[in-house]
Amino acid sequence: MINQNRFSVFLLGAATLALLGAGVARAADSLDAETKARIERFEKGALTIDVSKYPGGIRDNYEVFSTKCTQCHKLSRPINCDYVMPDEWSRYVKRMMHKPGSGIDTADGKKIYEFLVYDSSVRKKTMLDDKLAKATAEDKKAAEAKIKEVRDKYDK
Amino acid sequence: MSDELKSTSCEQADVEPTATNSAVPIWIIVLTLILLFLGAVYFDRHSGWFDQQVYAPFNSAEELARYQPQSGEAAMITHSKAVYESVCGTCHGSDGLGKPNQAPLLAGSEWVVKDIQSLVRIPQAGLNGPIQVAGHDWNLSMAPMGAGLSDADLAGVLSYIRQSWGNKGGAVSADDVKNARTAISGNAPSAADLAKMTPVERGHAVFQKYGCFQCHGPDGKGGVHNTNAKTAEQVPSLIYVADGYTKDELKKFIMTGERDIPRMNLAGPEPPHFMPSWGSIISSNELDDLPSFLFSLKLKGEKSDF
Repeated sequence: MINQNRFSVFLLGAATLALLGAGVARAADSLDAETKARIERFEKGALTIDVSKYPGGIRDNYEVFSTKCTQCHKLSRPINCDYVMPDEWSRYVKRMMHKPGSGIDTADGKKIYEFLVYDSSVRKKTMLDDKLAKATAEDKKAAEAKIKEVRDKYDK
Repeated sequence: MSDELKSTSCEQADVEPTATNSAVPIWIIVLTLILLFLGAVYFDRHSGWFDQQVYAPFNSAEELARYQPQSGEAAMITHSKAVYESVCGTCHGSDGLGKPNQAPLLAGSEWVVKDIQSLVRIPQAGLNGPIQVAGHDWNLSMAPMGAGLSDADLAGVLSYIRQSWGNKGGAVSADDVKNARTAISGNAPSAADLAKMTPVERGHAVFQKYGCFQCHGPDGKGGVHNTNAKTAEQVPSLIYVADGYTKDELKKFIMTGERDIPRMNLAGPEPPHFMPSWGSIISSNELDDLPSFLFSLKLKGEKSDF
């Protein structure tokens, strides 16, 4: 009797595992799974940023960032994504901003961009340093100049 | 001798049979797990997930007959119909009746039953500008949708449309298509001509050839209406792509496309226009040139970063 019970527990476990396995096999079949998985991974992360230690101007920009960007996607997507360089943020914000009906004008776009550059230089510093180290001398110089510009503007 | 035997069998009879508890061997458990896993994978691959078509594939013998392997002409027609549905049917309709403001009808169209070379030219080279079809004026453009089809497939599709929906045209052979294609290719820019053009000019030719302007507007300056699309019900214009994408990002996006257009109203209908995946349609040289043109659309004097 005991053994029978144990065996059915094993069976249940096995069935769960098998279904899981089948699910994984299925997910791998779907189109452009790589991009989808990447976005899903970002979205599973933290939903907000603790900006209490950031300067006032950046805290205001965070408000713009969190209201505008959540019109279309979770805030956890940009918060946890692997963009850190100023040019990456510039492209990303411009791409979103120019979607018809985004309601993000150039002034808002600039605020969001500066918030993201500032935040990347603090919260994602390790990732940023890593990317800077891998960049060409020219790109590194340009990126550092942009970061300094934003930091100088808000840190005062 | 016989006494000995007797005593042994007597002794054996004295022993009470007992049942002992013992654990299920581990290999049975492992084997069960493996079999269950394989079973579930098989189920996943072949069950059709309880789709009606798998579990109740037909209701009558007539319906079943369609699934029987075909040969000769019947198979050819089935194949051509499938090609038509996937390449032409989206705009011209499965019923050949066309769609308002999108594509003229083929059923009863004089162009379909006309001479073969004019007909081949349409899917081969695309068609831009005014045309009268069955008494109605059209002024649209069609991409060279059939340029990638083999001679036999294009011939099959053209035969299909010439002989369906009440059309009474003759069949088109693969040789007819081959000859017509040779005649048409005389007009296309040669490799030497292309080499003389700048990347922007070549990119513009690609933009025109594949009818990108049909959705993104002339010179990508403004997209057409896209009901219930979250992007303000418009297909996005392309004048800002230079700011939003690197060349590689843009190429990847064009190749992959975007089938799921976010909806403005989640309960509303699916937006009719989506970005096709062009990866299998345009050549890699063309894909290299296209971003040069798209980047050139940027408004002069506008800052590209913040």
